[in-house]
Amino acid sequence: MMAALVQVEDLSKIYGGVRALDKVSFEVYPGEWIAIMGPSGSGKTTLINILGGLDRPTSGRALVDGVNVGTLGERELTRYRAEKVGFVFQNFHLVPYLSALENVMLAQYFHSIADEKEAAQALERVGLGDRLDHLPGELSGGEQQRVALARALINHPNLLLADEPTGNLDEANEQMVLEILRELHGSGHTILLVTHSQEIGRMADRRIELAHGRLVHIVANVS
Amino acid sequence: MFWRILWRLLYASRGRLALALLAVASGAAVCAALLNVDLDATDKLTREFRALGANVVVSATQNGDAAGTMDANLIGQISDLHLPDVVAAAPYLYLSANAKAGENNSGVIVAGTLFDEVARMNSWWKVDGLWVASRDDRTQCMIGELAASRLGLTPGKSVTVTYAGRAVTLQVRGIVTTGSSEDSQIFVVLPVAQELSGLGDRITLIQIMARGSAAEIQGVIHRLSTALPAAQVRPLRQIAEAEGQLLARIRGLLAGTVGLILVLTALGVLAAMAGLAVERRRDVGLMKALGGPVRRIMRFFLAEATAIAFTGGIAGCLVGMALSEWIGERIFSVSISPRLIVIPATLALMIVVSLAGALPLRLLGRVRPAEILRGE
Amino acid sequence: MFVRLITDSFRRQARRKLLTTAALALGTAIATATLTVALDVGDRLAREFRSLGANLVVTPEADTLPLEIGGVDYRPVDSGVFLSESDLGKLKTIFWRNNIIGFAPFLDVPVTALVGSSRADSGRLRTTLIGTWYRHDVAVPGGGTFATGISATNPGWKLNGRWFSDNSAEAVAGANLARRAGIHTGDSVTVQTEGASSQLVVTGIISTGGQEDDAILAPLTVAQALAHKPGDYRRLLVSALTKPEDAFSQRNPKSMSPEEFDRWYCSPYISSISRQIQEQFPGVNVRAIRQVAEGEGQILSRVQSLMWLVTFAALLAAALAVAATAGTTVLERTGEVALMKALGARQRLVGAFFLGEQWFMAIVGGLLGYTAGLGLAHALGQRIFGIAPGARLILLPVVLALAAAVATIGSLLPLRKVMKLDPAPVLRGE
Repeated sequence: MMAALVQVEDLSKIYGGVRALDKVSFEVYPGEWIAIMGPSGSGKTTLINILGGLDRPTSGRALVDGVNVGTLGERELTRYRAEKVGFVFQNFHLVPYLSALENVMLAQYFHSIADEKEAAQALERVGLGDRLDHLPGELSGGEQQRVALARALINHPNLLLADEPTGNLDEANEQMVLEILRELHGSGHTILLVTHSQEIGRMADRRIELAHGRLVHIVANVS
Repeated sequence: MFWRILWRLLYASRGRLALALLAVASGAAVCAALLNVDLDATDKLTREFRALGANVVVSATQNGDAAGTMDANLIGQISDLHLPDVVAAAPYLYLSANAKAGENNSGVIVAGTLFDEVARMNSWWKVDGLWVASRDDRTQCMIGELAASRLGLTPGKSVTVTYAGRAVTLQVRGIVTTGSSEDSQIFVVLPVAQELSGLGDRITLIQIMARGSAAEIQGVIHRLSTALPAAQVRPLRQIAEAEGQLLARIRGLLAGTVGLILVLTALGVLAAMAGLAVERRRDVGLMKALGGPVRRIMRFFLAEATAIAFTGGIAGCLVGMALSEWIGERIFSVSISPRLIVIPATLALMIVVSLAGALPLRLLGRVRPAEILRGE
Repeated sequence: MFVRLITDSFRRQARRKLLTTAALALGTAIATATLTVALDVGDRLAREFRSLGANLVVTPEADTLPLEIGGVDYRPVDSGVFLSESDLGKLKTIFWRNNIIGFAPFLDVPVTALVGSSRADSGRLRTTLIGTWYRHDVAVPGGGTFATGISATNPGWKLNGRWFSDNSAEAVAGANLARRAGIHTGDSVTVQTEGASSQLVVTGIISTGGQEDDAILAPLTVAQALAHKPGDYRRLLVSALTKPEDAFSQRNPKSMSPEEFDRWYCSPYISSISRQIQEQFPGVNVRAIRQVAEGEGQILSRVQSLMWLVTFAALLAAALAVAATAGTTVLERTGEVALMKALGARQRLVGAFFLGEQWFMAIVGGLLGYTAGLGLAHALGQRIFGIAPGARLILLPVVLALAAAVATIGSLLPLRKVMKLDPAPVLRGE
């Protein structure tokens, strides 16, 4: 039995009296595509933020690749974000005054050293080889998200986290992004994706369903 | 990559940074101008006091009780020294004589001198009429206002001066008003007074105007004393102390205002940076989410603040030093030379001010990525 | 409703508003401080200058010509015209009486001096005894006394020892004279004229760089006794706070219209003060000591120009700082603006709303700044000149207007942006 890449045990997060997460426990194995689902306010984003090192749990453990994210110091957490995870946001969150190439290089810079050639290759792989010098403002939503994907993967993280990555995209672009995700899954990446779309949920290996901060369901998709 | 990102950051916020730059540049200009003026001109500011009239007097050594006379060759000895700080040296021979003009008669002091030197020394003399033009003019004289009014004289009229049986008649060329003892004297060329006195080639004293700081004038006195052992050399009008106080006040004023302006500059930078911090919150949150260490992120902002300090500082310095020259010309009528030390001094001040003003950017270090990126 | 929106906005964004108001307050404070000091510096420096010596000399018009060599008057005292010291109180009744810092009467008497106990002729010297006041109480018509003398006209004179007391048998010897005659502090000197003699104790040695260095200074009463001229003096030095002469003041008063004359008379020019003194003392000649007056006038106008320049720079810097702050806050609230517009608010209303906020902060900040600025000016003035400048109420409306103007100008561009803002993309979350 392979060791779990992600082990969440009794994870809780309380925001000023509100229980955003309530003793959530589950495991994720390398290469799995997990969809985290539930109505709004169910804690999906909180969960993925904690796993991404963007937020801290109130209690419980979240182990990623053996590292307990909740107990990391500030500096270690920073390294964790750079090395272990890649994050893709619903709102893309590209730096508006850096080109597509520079946005990817930014992630390299914070990890170790910026490598223009490698970054260019990463963008070519998502089909943006001819858009390297464009600013986010000059790219469509789908193109921006693809840059975000290239950025998330450039440092070869263990885990790819995505929070409603296609939420702001039209049909065509959505399909393009999902296709890329399928390819990544196919080549062995571990993906945790938050979505409220049943259709996208069915593309994953397993679905984790939350409601009011509690884990309600873990369902394996029949392939 | 650092420089690439830095450049993009600077360009993206060019509006706000321009404002900060403007604040720093104007602060630097004012500081540089005032510092330059302070270093170069405050000394010259009070030179009026020292430059109005004689500040050194050479007289006969006092043996006994009466002021004696000395040999007129002392004049030549002084000019032979070629002291660069000596602007003018006017010899005087005084006689207590009698003057008669028409029906008016009065005892009067006659002063024999060299008019060209006197004119150079005493620019504040108010002259109704004209100065006696050459030092050889034996026919004309100048008269103090009180003496003129007592003798009923106006420019063009004649007066006869008698001493020990000798007499000379002179035409009044100009009337002098000073508010001091000159107002009661009659001025003639030195040879005329010497002839009247019958003492030969003698003078009573030499008035000297030396320029420079109090210390420099002291130096002139020292040199003259050494070169003229037969005479007594003394400073006149010792106002150094009061002048020093005045200077200290003016400098205090300048320093106080420079301080205030520095505070204001910091405020301007602060305001611009505060706006910048708000603009950047999302980007900083993102950089943190990407695993950017706080220290590395802060380095950008430090670099920005320093860049502003340097560019604004240098631009401001250049403007400021030009401004100080203008101030020198227009306000003080002196030429102010640029003092290079002002540049590093102002830059240092601007760096301190910019860093202080960039404080809001430091607060960006505390930004929590999740809060920013969660959703707008 | 408008007011309610504004008060709501203040309550919600209290901290941000506080920052802007603080910036406006600080800018205003500094502007107030520099303006107050600039308006005051002329008076302060004028006072400083007075420590350099008197600037007016009064002599009897009908008197014989002074026979002065090196400033020492060799005229005999048994002839000539003198002035009465009992009239001197009138100097404090002229229009510009408060500008008369001090005055000192002088009576110069040629004497023979003997150092130590009477000895042979070898110990005698001929010198001048300058009789004057060091600090003397003068009765002012209308009540009160005014203490004055060379302590007021020449405060800068340096003395080794101490000054003589009024009405005492003491004296101060000039440094050159002391050196020549071997006089030291504590010595007894006998001075003689024809028919009078006085024994004086030397209480100090003075060095001024002027005529006093070769003379003996003593109380006026001593000189009067030696000259047989009780209650008289021959020359008066006056120290007055004046305004530098300009083109207007140098005109002949006789050629001025009544309004111009009033303006001239009511300005403390040295010429108008001289005239006022002459009105009180008929038969005197009042002259400005030009050497002193010229130097002062030049320096005063120069420093004043400099101060105005600096004030202008400070105001400019304040304006920049405040504009930066005021302008920034408007830009941060695009969300609110979009909402207001989506709810149907017209451009003008949105603009008025934000401008209203800015003005409110300008007034509050301006008031705070003015008060703080007065304190700052007080501290500055105290530190530099030893006297705090008076608060000038006229500055309050000026400074408030400046704050409002600056807040407006600073907000103009951001305000335009905000007014023209298209609400749709903002509300969509872009």
